[in-house]
Amino acid sequence: MKLCTLALLPLLVLAGCKPAAKELKIGVSAPTTGSISATGQSAKNAIALVQDEINAGGGVQVGDKQVKVRFILEDDEDKPESTATVFQKLINQDKVLAIIGSYTSKCSNAGAPIAEASGIPVVSPWSTNPNVTKGRKFIFRACFIDPFQGRVVAQFATSKLKAKTGAVLYDVASDYNKGIAEVFRDEFTKMGGKIVGFETYNTKDTDFSAQLTKIKGANPEVLFLPNYFNEVPLQIQQARKLGLTAVMLGGDGWDNPELVKLGGKVMDGNYFSNHYSPDIDNPIAKGFIAKYKARFGLVPDAAAALTYDSANLILKAVATAGKADSKAIRDALAATVGFQGVTGNITYGGGGDPVKGAVVIKVEDGKFVFDSAVNP
Amino acid sequence: MDTIIQQLFNAAQLGAVYALIALGYSMVYGIIRLINFAHGDIFMLGGFIGLLLTTRFGWMPFYLLLPLAMLLTALVGVAIERVAYRRLRNAQRMSVVITTLGVGIFLENLVRLTVGPETRQIPARLPSAPVVWLQQHLGAFVTWDKLLIILISLALMAILWLVVNRTLIGTAMRAVADNKDAVPLMGVNLNLVIAVTFAIGSALAAAGGIFYGQAYSIDPYMGIDLGWKAFIAAVIGGIGSIEGAVLGSFLLAGVEVITVAYLSSNLKNGIAFGLLILLLLVWPWGIMGKPTLKKV
Repeated sequence: MKLCTLALLPLLVLAGCKPAAKELKIGVSAPTTGSISATGQSAKNAIALVQDEINAGGGVQVGDKQVKVRFILEDDEDKPESTATVFQKLINQDKVLAIIGSYTSKCSNAGAPIAEASGIPVVSPWSTNPNVTKGRKFIFRACFIDPFQGRVVAQFATSKLKAKTGAVLYDVASDYNKGIAEVFRDEFTKMGGKIVGFETYNTKDTDFSAQLTKIKGANPEVLFLPNYFNEVPLQIQQARKLGLTAVMLGGDGWDNPELVKLGGKVMDGNYFSNHYSPDIDNPIAKGFIAKYKARFGLVPDAAAALTYDSANLILKAVATAGKADSKAIRDALAATVGFQGVTGNITYGGGGDPVKGAVVIKVEDGKFVFDSAVNP
Repeated sequence: MDTIIQQLFNAAQLGAVYALIALGYSMVYGIIRLINFAHGDIFMLGGFIGLLLTTRFGWMPFYLLLPLAMLLTALVGVAIERVAYRRLRNAQRMSVVITTLGVGIFLENLVRLTVGPETRQIPARLPSAPVVWLQQHLGAFVTWDKLLIILISLALMAILWLVVNRTLIGTAMRAVADNKDAVPLMGVNLNLVIAVTFAIGSALAAAGGIFYGQAYSIDPYMGIDLGWKAFIAAVIGGIGSIEGAVLGSFLLAGVEVITVAYLSSNLKNGIAFGLLILLLLVWPWGIMGKPTLKKV
């Protein structure tokens, strides 16, 4: 009996060693519940689209064989502490090769150190705060960064709207909002404008009337609201009810259908900078938008487009690396040159930040209309 | 242009909503010495019931919608007291407090699952044009809905004062607050008095929720932060005292708004709560609270 077991042992060991790579696992950390669950929903849709596309063709080419891909999506609730748990679960329990996420910068900043320490490459679709990738080897992003975005909006305000005075109201407890607000203030001043109000609030505040009344007293021509789509319409509504007439400006945090659903008419005539516009003439974008619309009945927002690009960036890196190994995927990602995505071309020049352009979008009759494009 | 008058209206609107919530905390505490931590979520629920009524019954005018939502929320409040709190009335104090927290979490998740987690607004039912008189005479840009919210809230508080001080049930409530053990011996139905207290508190919170959803926005978790603020306002005013709850609420809102207007929005909560701690050091029972002395 004992002898028999011993004789079988080498066989078992061999069987255990044989890579059972039936599928390739990639993690996704997205806020599918919580205050910006609409963004998480966009991410979920885009991921479903990518997964079906790649697996319909047999999967991704790894070395000499094709492997099916499975995306494991976890809800990080748009909370930094939950994001840390999600990253840990994806890495230690699900053993994913790479991670897409998280979405807001405050969450990415919580997840990134964990992935960095475990040597798992991350592509964040939507986190624009510079600190997310800074000093990290395994963290990449598919979007531009806030200093660029802040400059785009400041330039738009001073040269196109000819604004001389501006004010800012932002969420001081969120990395993204704070970062872009400060860049806008500095750039707007450099371009000859004057900042007459720089007011803050805390995440989850819903009454902004005291800050807005104070800003109204300073009478600015533009008011920059670098906040998320679930708060911006309320801020503009309260501002109008207090008699503030400034043109409202924003960043990519505005980009979600919820913005006009919640705000309605008050959103018209205001502008925000974004990663892409569905109106832009780009064959890859056209194909993606058509497929997305047919399946989900919605025009994809930037979060959906960037998620689609992030997933394809990783899949391309896996194919380039030729093996299912996180370190090799990281190296292939870092060497990406001229990847053609929905949101433009992506090239990593050493770090994890791509060099990309931005667009300015105007809200008109409840629709997002392309206004102008800005290249770095 | 000076915006001080406009800021005062901002503070009055916020204070009115705080007061509508704080009253429920204070009344329930006054009668059965229970801090009902689910009360903030009753406020949230009231807002969502208002949202449901406005979206389902678009024809319903505001003067019908408000009392109906208040009535429905009052029924929920009474049901919660009957199901979750009554059996624990003589249990250890801590068990009831934990139960109130549990009920709060239940309500938050119930609304999140049935309505969804997104931020919403109750469709405007009050006119949002500016009040011309105020604009011409005081230079203040105040919309009609803001003025109406403040006035209706004050009217509700006045009605509450009359009920508590001028009616039989109000007398019973004050008697129970004075001595919960002796009053039933005089033939007063204790369960009824407590149920009425929960009903009134929940109805006022519902009005607050609807006003909040008109003026600002509602989401399933709004009851947590605002509930805390209102609770603090009730403590400042002297928990158990109706006048105190109202005073504390307007005071808290006033300090918050003035801090933003004249100091810095960064310091809003820091200064507001710092001042309130100082206030409590001077009046440990709250401004209108009665010191309760423990007999040894």
